[in-house]
This record gives sequence, structure tokens and C-alpha cells, in this order.
Amino acid sequence: MDLSKHPIAEQWFLQNEWQPYDFQVKTWEAIGKGYSGLLNAPTGFGKTYAIWFGVLQEYFKKRKSGIHCLWITPLRALSKEIHMATTRVSDKLGLDYDIGLRSGDTSTKERAAQKRKMPHALITTPESMHLMLAAKGYNDTFKNLQFVIVDEWHELMGTKRGVQVELALSRLKAINPQLKIWGISATIGNLEEAREVLLGSYGGKSTMIRTNLEKKTEIETIIPEQIEKYPWGGHLGIKMLDEVLPIIHNSQSTLLFTNTRSQCEIWYQKLLEREPDLAGAMAIHHSALSEETRLWVENALHEGILKAVVCTSSLDLGVDFRPVDTVVQIGSPKGVARFMQRAGRSGHRPGAVSKIYFLPTHSLEIVEGSALRHAIAHKEIEQRIPYIRSFDVLIQYLVTLAVSDGFRADDIYAEVIQTHCFSSISREEFGWCLAFITEGGKMLDAYDEFHKVVVEGGVYKVTSRKVAMRHRLSIGTIVSDSMMQVKYLGGGRIGSIEEWFLSRLNPGDAFWFTGKNLELVRIKDMTAFVKKSVKDKGAFPSWQGGRMPLSSQLSATIRQKLDDYGSGKKVDVEISSLTQLFEEQKLRSHLPHSSELLIEKIKSRDGYHVFIYPFEGRNVHEGMAALFAWRIAQIKPMTFSIAMNDYGFELLSDQEIPIEEALGNALFDSATMSADIYASVNITEMAKRKFRDIATISGLVFNGFPGKAVKTRHVQASSQLFFSVFEDHEQNNLLLQEAYDEVMTFQMEEVRMRRALERMETQDVIIKELKQFSPFCFPILTERFREKFSNETFEDRVKKMLAQLDKEGSRKS
Amino acid sequence: MTIDIGGEELVLLYQKALYKPDEKLLVIADVHLGKATHFRKHGIAIPAQAQQGDYDNLRSILNEVQPEKVYFLGDLFHSDFNGDWHLFCDLIKEYPNIQFTLVKGNHDLINKQMFEEVCIAVEDIIEDGPLVYTHAPLKEVPEGKVNIVGHIHPGVVLSGMGRQSVKLPCFYREEQLFILPAFGVLTGLYSMDVRQANAIYLVLSDSVRRL
Repeated sequence: MDLSKHPIAEQWFLQNEWQPYDFQVKTWEAIGKGYSGLLNAPTGFGKTYAIWFGVLQEYFKKRKSGIHCLWITPLRALSKEIHMATTRVSDKLGLDYDIGLRSGDTSTKERAAQKRKMPHALITTPESMHLMLAAKGYNDTFKNLQFVIVDEWHELMGTKRGVQVELALSRLKAINPQLKIWGISATIGNLEEAREVLLGSYGGKSTMIRTNLEKKTEIETIIPEQIEKYPWGGHLGIKMLDEVLPIIHNSQSTLLFTNTRSQCEIWYQKLLEREPDLAGAMAIHHSALSEETRLWVENALHEGILKAVVCTSSLDLGVDFRPVDTVVQIGSPKGVARFMQRAGRSGHRPGAVSKIYFLPTHSLEIVEGSALRHAIAHKEIEQRIPYIRSFDVLIQYLVTLAVSDGFRADDIYAEVIQTHCFSSISREEFGWCLAFITEGGKMLDAYDEFHKVVVEGGVYKVTSRKVAMRHRLSIGTIVSDSMMQVKYLGGGRIGSIEEWFLSRLNPGDAFWFTGKNLELVRIKDMTAFVKKSVKDKGAFPSWQGGRMPLSSQLSATIRQKLDDYGSGKKVDVEISSLTQLFEEQKLRSHLPHSSELLIEKIKSRDGYHVFIYPFEGRNVHEGMAALFAWRIAQIKPMTFSIAMNDYGFELLSDQEIPIEEALGNALFDSATMSADIYASVNITEMAKRKFRDIATISGLVFNGFPGKAVKTRHVQASSQLFFSVFEDHEQNNLLLQEAYDEVMTFQMEEVRMRRALERMETQDVIIKELKQFSPFCFPILTERFREKFSNETFEDRVKKMLAQLDKEGSRKS
Repeated sequence: MTIDIGGEELVLLYQKALYKPDEKLLVIADVHLGKATHFRKHGIAIPAQAQQGDYDNLRSILNEVQPEKVYFLGDLFHSDFNGDWHLFCDLIKEYPNIQFTLVKGNHDLINKQMFEEVCIAVEDIIEDGPLVYTHAPLKEVPEGKVNIVGHIHPGVVLSGMGRQSVKLPCFYREEQLFILPAFGVLTGLYSMDVRQANAIYLVLSDSVRRL
């Protein structure tokens, strides 16, 4: 291979006696020719060096002063790894090229030193990058910046942190139009779009470099000997503990991925109980643990002194742990990409095989093992949907620029519309954002006292030190939940849990935390007082991971697998193990073919139930349930309680549900879908929830200075209050609109829902009246948290509930 | 609806206020006037007109009830002085025949003198027969007395068949404590524990009803 044009790389590879891969050489060439681009390569094949030697080579061509390269990663742990890898090159080859780290951890002293003499390259996060834009004189700092590398772009793109990256790039590109942008991404369903989003419309040469190197993945589903015919939702898979122990023993080091923190806690406890010898050789890792503990676990994994780690998505990303040779996924991974990523945490060297065990937590989930294998083999991997028109992030960004050197409106407008996210915003909409930060939206009268950003000589700037300080502290788009302390009645501290979870519990309810079953006694002053529960069941907090919807790739494959069984085709071991459950479903109800849609009806003590099974993931089901509830309620005023899982959903009402009539009235009509969704009450509730993050990112809700919470108490209000106030007084508020748009795109998955409805319109509807609950509806019935829908008036509903209370009261007395 | 507390007759109004007919006394808690403007001064873009409802509601209840005395049970004016003060003064001046008293709350930072200039008395506590009025609950209530307070913004979650639920403001009675709902529109609801209560009175859109 001719490496004469890449002498630094040549020297390094020669020294290490390595051979570069084709994709590495291709990347060096592209960078040498002045391209920007996206590099798609599996982990463990040297993608860092594929970019790095290109960057180094360019530097030594010109040797300009100041910072030369910014390397952005989504994770501090990853930043550290990149820092080590790149510093090693400079040290071993004796290159005059310093690499610095900048993150939330970087000390003030180090920052000051960096400011005096910037390193040649800085490894940082999207948030720290924006903080640098909030510092005076940033223009000068970045004037010779030649490269921005965005690592793990697939992770950032589908988040508002991705939007932060886009905005920062638009500014840096304006400071130095010669700037080159490179992204690194794992395989996703929309790589081409990923490149377009990252590179914006700045022009210049760009390319995509892909490699055909492939990581081999071996999937094995752990099938229980006894298959339950009535699968409960919310199971933890603990029954399969004994199947997992030999896997741990036969491996060098095992990662056990769970979907929720509480599940993680419980698995850890139960493993220890069953096998006390594991103490010291097993650890737990999730985001509620302190950073210190997490780092200790990560180091121990590196050194190979841990036999097993029970973890959550907290270990999805980041540093490679070479000793790890086995991964166990407990419960549905919900998507193909996530499953592959987790599988990839084992066998982390070129050519090694990734071994992953899939452990279903309830019997229906066994199907997913077969579906995952199919999807990976056929490369059916999910897309990442980029955010567009995120006005909250734009508003935060504008204040950031106002805090440092100030900005002129026309310049910044011209820059931001070159990003993918804001390419469609009008000058009027941009003007609205400016009015929001200078006048606080619509002014009531001339005496208005709104004060944030001021305009002096056409320059937008922040003059108040207080405003500036508060803004710097709230830069970022990751909105963490408000946490509540959990204490025993006697005063002993147990830890902290998200307020939203605790506030949904009633006193007397039991829940799992730190592996213990606790009973909520009362909530007072942001503290939840609890005692040990004597019950053997508790609520399983449905954390983020638990609420993740099944992806459309995976759900389509599941429908296919059911059909294969029904039509007597040859099936995987997973599917054939479910014979009994499927036969029971046939007996009590019906097992739908892919050309059929199953609807089940049953009356119970709780009321009238209707179950519908589109197999489209819980998000689509949530939206569809609201839509159907609304359409049915057009026939007569009704109130519904809604529950769903990834396979179907339930409408429950105190009145009989006229489902047949609704079917006759085009229940599945996709043409009027959007209008009907907007008309349904639930979207407001959903938007209100989305608005929580938006209110924080746009600076309406301030979470307080660390350790100085009291000072800001008088300017604190809940995002819900802002939401209602805007609804009442400022309907054209773009942040409000954004909340609704986010609901449609991410919560309702509008596009996917429309496709699902179109499919359902062509399916044969099979309605079954059940005498007893079927295996399919059982897990839905046992879902803990429910949504509500009603078009009865608020007062009517209250009257009904009161009448119900009266009835119960008279029965008691 | 009319209830009896410590032998005193009290009327619970759906407008989220308490009325004591023998003294022609109206008690209102947690109005939080000036809150929108306070937020705006600090760069938080809450629409200024959001507060208007409070002035409308205050006028309409004063006109309807025609009290001789009004106690504001704290958090009347949110935080420190701002331009909304004159709106409040204008309102007070429209009712020269009503004797207003503010029982100070944690959000009332405006000094006593300014209230007194518009003829509003300021107290930390008012004791009147069996009733003790304060903003926040007293740590210890004298025996045989009932502490009438605001501060908490009480609400209660109702649930019905089909696992539905709604949250409503309420009056809340627990032993020697009687909590008023927050009057202001820019206030939230704190969920009370129904099991701890002796009585809960729900505030509906046109009536008050015991739970």
C-alpha cells in the first residue's frame, strides 16, 4: 500500500507493525483533498485513527496558530479514551501537537491555562462547545479552526444535542469558511440523511466512506423450560436466574443489560443472593449511581477483575472493555440497532465474534429473539429521526451568543438557515425568537419590565451579569428530572428517585428501589418517606428504557414471525417453543395472520374492555388509542382509560364500547388522522409533557444554582403552568407549537402511524368476544400506568366519580 | 357550602375563598399578584396578561360578597416591588369601605409601610376567638383552636371507574388545621393525602362539595 502521502500514519503503522484498512487510507485521502464527510465503520476497527492521521497530516502542511481541531463526543468517558489514543500518537512520534480535554469536569485552572495557550486539538462535548461560544472573544479562539470531528454522530443526531452541534457548526463555519466537518457513525437506516444533517448546506466537497468490514454477531435466546401461557407485563426475568449463572461462569467477563434501573438493581441483588461467591467479582452500573462509583466499575472492567456487571443503557456507549466476551440482554431491547450495539460490547477486537444472549422477561417476548436474528441478518436497522425546528435550542443559542460577544440578527439568521434543523424557519419565526428574548413575547404595555437580552446599535447582547451567569449554568439540552429524596420514616437516607414517578404513587403503594421493596408513607418537602413493604409485589418504575417503543423494523418482523407459525412454515426454536401459548390464544380467541387484525372484547369488574393488536410499538399504540377513543366518542360521549404495550392496546370504559359501529364509521381512516389527533384531548396532555424539556431548554424554567436553590425560588414555576398560560394567552407561541410538533413526530410517530392505519384498512378485522382473558391481552391488562381520554365535560366526569364515591360510601355504612 | 369550625359558622366559596358571615369577613389566600411581572423582570417570558384573571376575580368576588373586612392570608404580592403594584393599589382604592389586612407570607417581601400607605394593615398572625389566621401552618396550635392557613395550595386527585383521574383544588381540614385553596391563577396544586384529612371540600366550577 502506498502511504507516501500520509507519512505520519505510515510511521505510526510501521512502528506498531500494523496494516491500515482500506477505509482508513480512503479517509486520509479524502481529508487530504479537502473533503468533509461521514465515516461509517463498526467499532473496534480503528475509526479514530482513520480520521486522526488525516487531521494531523493537514496540520503539518500549514501549521497555523491557535486551535486546529475540535473533536466532539457524546460522552465524557469517550472523550477520555480519544484523548489517550491521540496523545499516545503525539508522544510516541514526538509531534508538536497537543491535545486537551474540555468537559464539565475540566477545572477552572485548566480552563484558564487552555485559554492562555489553546492546545492544537480539544476534545469536548456539545454542551462544553456551546459554553465556549458563551465566552468573550470566542471568534478569535476559533479563527484558525480547520476541523470539527463529531464522534458517534448517530447517537447525537436524534437528540437536541445534535441540534446544538448543528448550531455550533453554523457559527464556526461562518468564522472560518474553510472549516472541514467529519462525522463518525455506526450503521443506521438513514446514513445518507445523517451526512446531510451534519454537513448542512454550506457547500464544499463532501463524501461518505463506508467499509464492508463486518462484525459477526451470534444470538442465542434463553428459552425457559416451562412457558407461561399468561405472560404478565413488567416481569423482571428473575425466574431465569439459574439459566444465567452458567453463562457468567463460562465467560471471562459478562455484561448483563437491563432496560430499567430498578430491574438492574433487582437482578444484582438476586444474583448475589443466589450466588454469594460473586460478591466482589460482580458490580452494578447505572446512571443513578455516583460518577465515582461508575468510574470505578469501568476501570475494573478494563482490568478484567470483574466477572459480571449488571447495567443499563449507561454502558451502551463509550469505552471498549476488552475483557468482556459475553453480553446478556434481559428483556426486549426494543430495537435492532440497540441490540447490535449492546452485542458489540463483547468481542471488542477486530475479527472477534460478538456473543449475545437474549433473555425474554415474559413468554411473548420470546418471539423477539427470532425477530432480532432475522432483522440483523437482513440489515433491517432503524433510522434516527433528526429534530427539526427546535426553537427552544435556537433561543438558548441566541442568548448564548448574546452573553459573549453579541450578535447581529441578519448575520445569525443567514447562518442558522444553513443548518438542517432550521432550514425551514422564516424570517418572521426568527423574529419571534428575537422578540422572545428581548421583549418576552408580546408586551402588554410600554411599562413592561421584561429584561433579558437588549439591542444596542443593532447588536443583541446581555448586559446583566445575573442573566449571563444564570444562562451559562443552564446551557444544555439534557433535562434531568427533578429528584426527590427517599428516606425511611426513622430518617435513614436511601437515595433519590425522580419526582414524577413518586408523585404518581399513592400512599400505601409499594415500589422497588435499591433492590428493596418499599412502601410509600407520605411525601413532604420533596422527600418521600417510606417503610419496608410487607407486600411481595411493588410498582416497577417505568423508566425511560421501559417506555421505549418497539421499533417498526422489529415489530414488522414480529408480525411476520407470527404469520409463519400460523401458516405452518418452518420456524425458529423461539417460535416453536411458544406452541402452547399460541394454541391457548387460538382456543380462547384467535391467532391473527398478517392479513388479519384481531380485536377482543370482554366485560369485567373494571368495566368494558376492547383490545386491539396492531403490533406497532407502544408509541403508535398510545396515539392510535387516543385517536380511536376520540372517534368512538363521536358516537356517544364516553370516557376511556387506555393501556398499551408493544403488541396492542386496550380501551376500557364504564359504558359499553360501540366498536362495531365505529368500524362501520371508518375507524381506521388515515386521511383525517392528523386533524382527529389534534381534536383529541390527549394530545394536549402529551404536549404538556414534551413542554417540560422545552421550557427548561428555552430558559423559562430554571433549575437553580447548585447549592443555592433558595435564591431562585421566587422565579420558579412549573412548566405546566407556563404551558397553560401560553395556551390561554399566547396561542401563536412557537415553543407551544414545537411541543405539539414533537408529539406528532416522536410520540405519535405520525408517519409510522399513518402507515399502520393504511395497513389496517386492508386487513380483515376479526372480532372475538372473550369469556376469559386471552394470553395476548393479559400483559396489557396488567400495565401499571394508564392514559386517559374523555370528551365528557370535566364537570360530568367529576360528578360521575363523586356519584361512584357516594355509592361506595353508602355500601360501607 | 356552610361548615362549622370551633363553633363558628364559615362559608366555603367556590371562588376559592372563605366567608365568615357574622363578621362579614372574607378570607383569601395566595393570590400571588405581580408574579408574571416579577418573572418578566428576571428574563422569563411569561405573558404579562396571564395575571389579568386575578384582578378580574378579585373585583368580582368583592362586588358579589360585599365584605366589610378582608384578610389576605399571605403571598398576596409575589416577591419584591414591581410595576404591578399600582394595579393592585388601584384595585384597593376602589373599595374604601373595606378594611383590608395582610397576614404576611413567605413570598411577601414588600415592606409593611407600603401596604399601610394604601390602608392595608399587616400582621404576622391574627387570633380571633377559636380561630388563628396565619400564612403557613403553625408548628403548635393552642389547644382548642383551629389554625386557618394558605401557603400549601391544596389539591386532591379524584379517581373513578375506568381508572380515570382528575385533580381539583380543595379546602382541607386536618385536626387543628384548615387550609384554604390558592386564589391566584398563576399557582399550581399540591396533592394532599386524602387519608390524613378529617374533611376535604372540593372546589368545583360552580359549587363546593364535601368529598
